[in-house]
Amino acid sequence: MNLLLFALSLALTLVAAVAFVAHVTSGREGAHRVALGALWAAFGLETLALALRFASVGAGVLDSFHDHLSLLAWLLVGCYLALQARIRLDVLGALVSPLAFLLNLSSYLFYSGTETLPPELRTAWLPAHVAPAFLGYAILVLASCVSLVYLLQERRLKAKRPGRLHRLPSLETLDELNYRCVAWGFALFTLGIVTGALLAKTTWGVFWVWEPVQVLSVLAWLVYAMLLQARSLGWRGRRAATLTLAGFGLLLVTLLSFSVNFGVPHGRTFGG
Amino acid sequence: MTHEVLIVGLNHRTASLDVREAVALADDQLDDANRQLRELDGVEEAAMVCTCNRVEVVSSARGGEVAVARITDFLRRTQRRPLADLQPHLYNFAGRDAVRHLFRVASSLDSMVVGEPQILGQLKQFYARAASVGATGAVLHRWFHKAFSVAKRVRTETGIAGRAVSVSSAAVELATTIFDHLEGKTAMLIGTGKMGELAARHLLANGVGSLIATNRTFERAVDLARALHATPVPFEQFPKYLPMADIVIGATAASEFILGEQAVQEALRERKGRPMFCIDLSVPRSFDPRINALDNVYLYDVDDLAKVADENLGERAREAEKAEVIVSEEVEAFWRWLGHLDVVPTIVALRDKIEQIRRGELQKTLGQLKELPPREREALEAMTTALVNKILHAPIARLKQHDRRSEAFYVDALRRLFDLDEPDER
Repeated sequence: MNLLLFALSLALTLVAAVAFVAHVTSGREGAHRVALGALWAAFGLETLALALRFASVGAGVLDSFHDHLSLLAWLLVGCYLALQARIRLDVLGALVSPLAFLLNLSSYLFYSGTETLPPELRTAWLPAHVAPAFLGYAILVLASCVSLVYLLQERRLKAKRPGRLHRLPSLETLDELNYRCVAWGFALFTLGIVTGALLAKTTWGVFWVWEPVQVLSVLAWLVYAMLLQARSLGWRGRRAATLTLAGFGLLLVTLLSFSVNFGVPHGRTFGG
Repeated sequence: MTHEVLIVGLNHRTASLDVREAVALADDQLDDANRQLRELDGVEEAAMVCTCNRVEVVSSARGGEVAVARITDFLRRTQRRPLADLQPHLYNFAGRDAVRHLFRVASSLDSMVVGEPQILGQLKQFYARAASVGATGAVLHRWFHKAFSVAKRVRTETGIAGRAVSVSSAAVELATTIFDHLEGKTAMLIGTGKMGELAARHLLANGVGSLIATNRTFERAVDLARALHATPVPFEQFPKYLPMADIVIGATAASEFILGEQAVQEALRERKGRPMFCIDLSVPRSFDPRINALDNVYLYDVDDLAKVADENLGERAREAEKAEVIVSEEVEAFWRWLGHLDVVPTIVALRDKIEQIRRGELQKTLGQLKELPPREREALEAMTTALVNKILHAPIARLKQHDRRSEAFYVDALRRLFDLDEPDER
């Protein structure tokens, strides 16, 4: 039942992705309606799937890597839909929905029902750590998508070919959005790191272990902190967008190292 | 078909400006012209349309050839300055072609600049003028209003009017691609060139909050500033004001660059990297092209803007093809409606409709009164038939005796009141 819901939501996300790309390239309004409808439906189904899974395994929903991936996709789509309700950002949908599809697809492929977290990690601190960290990740992914659109738009304007993608939001809007996303994402990410350290303390008695996930997370955190600081010195626009993407690169490596660790039973000391 | 739709006239493609000037009527002649047109032999309804790009008589007539000749004659008579020969400039459309022509004009597909928005408003005005002197009737009413709705459909369903096609509007379009909105933004105008002034006016009209004007000769900056409600600043001091400017327009006749990399870089520093849009409308250029390489600065010169406008024009041409499809659909729907606008088929349709209702209701009643003897059934049948005939007698008689001008009005009213048209014709 759960897997069926999940597969259905996966298919709908693909429909949304294709329709969004079609809308952005052709400008057809019909495609936009289909895209948004499909994405809302996919989000609804995945919400139901996650709720059912939570009902059956409780906090164990955070135990496996495939759950983490689908959680991230779910949060990403949720954040996008919340944003889309306020300002129209079709082109962002054309980035977010394929990304959500890929995340969900890998989650689906990873699904084996066997990987679990080391039992010692199953404490009340785990949700307190995972919830802000993942919401923060999702928002930072969204910020990266916004940055990508910014760079695209900026290049077109510099090359004096503003061309066909005229539905792109203005540079000012994108820059402002990037700032807000990074600020929120950073705050939640910080909370995630602090709770992560507390989780380590309660589990192993130490705050800090030289563990790749931890080191990389802190590096990414530093990039975002720098980005926010530099903005007040006039680092906006292209530089801010590039730095956002750099931070995202580090985040991606963090997530990957996390997954590699997960692949080997008890090969890691603690969970991200 | 008894109602023939006709358009006789000329436009920017068939007649040069001086021919159009000679034929166009002055505003105070328009009402008379509409009245006279209506009185012409064979003409039932008429509306004169007279813009700077076209002079056309839109009419509903009987006996096409005669009406066309009369209208042509009328145009020849009323021209302000007699021309050797008007005939080669005139075109006339009849039937579906006429319907299509009016729809295309309203949708701005026949305009000099395809997609320009003024024509629809002008058409509405000219129709209202003709209607106000009673020169129009049911056919023109429906035809024009259909044309207005087709234009609206074209506007919303295609991107025909979406893009800027002049240099000034391209500048505004680019400005809104960089800045979210222009409200509260500041522009600076350097020099007093005509193009610069035009661009500044366009930006102000689109929300730019304040304008700073400067010129080598300060007096001229002051004059221009007064005309544009701007703040004049002395030329030597303009770099000091540069950081305030979100948009900088150059329209000078200078032979060297008046805005260099250094000045912009300093301004950017003070602006904390907030973007600047530099529009160089001078020929030769007065802004150093290297400015464009700076982060958060976008420099466009006249050629760049013209290129943007041109690309947009190409896009309009593509959108126009979509619009033609919409027009064709609507022409067919209107054509069907027009075909039904005759007395005989309307009487038939009305009788059919009422008869259908009578039968339906009778059947229902007889179904409930199964015990009724045949004689009484027949009586009921006769009574309902008589009822229907009596009710329909007066309206049908009235319809048959009406003169042709009000005929279309009554037929149209009847078709609407009794819902006799197919849904797509409404």
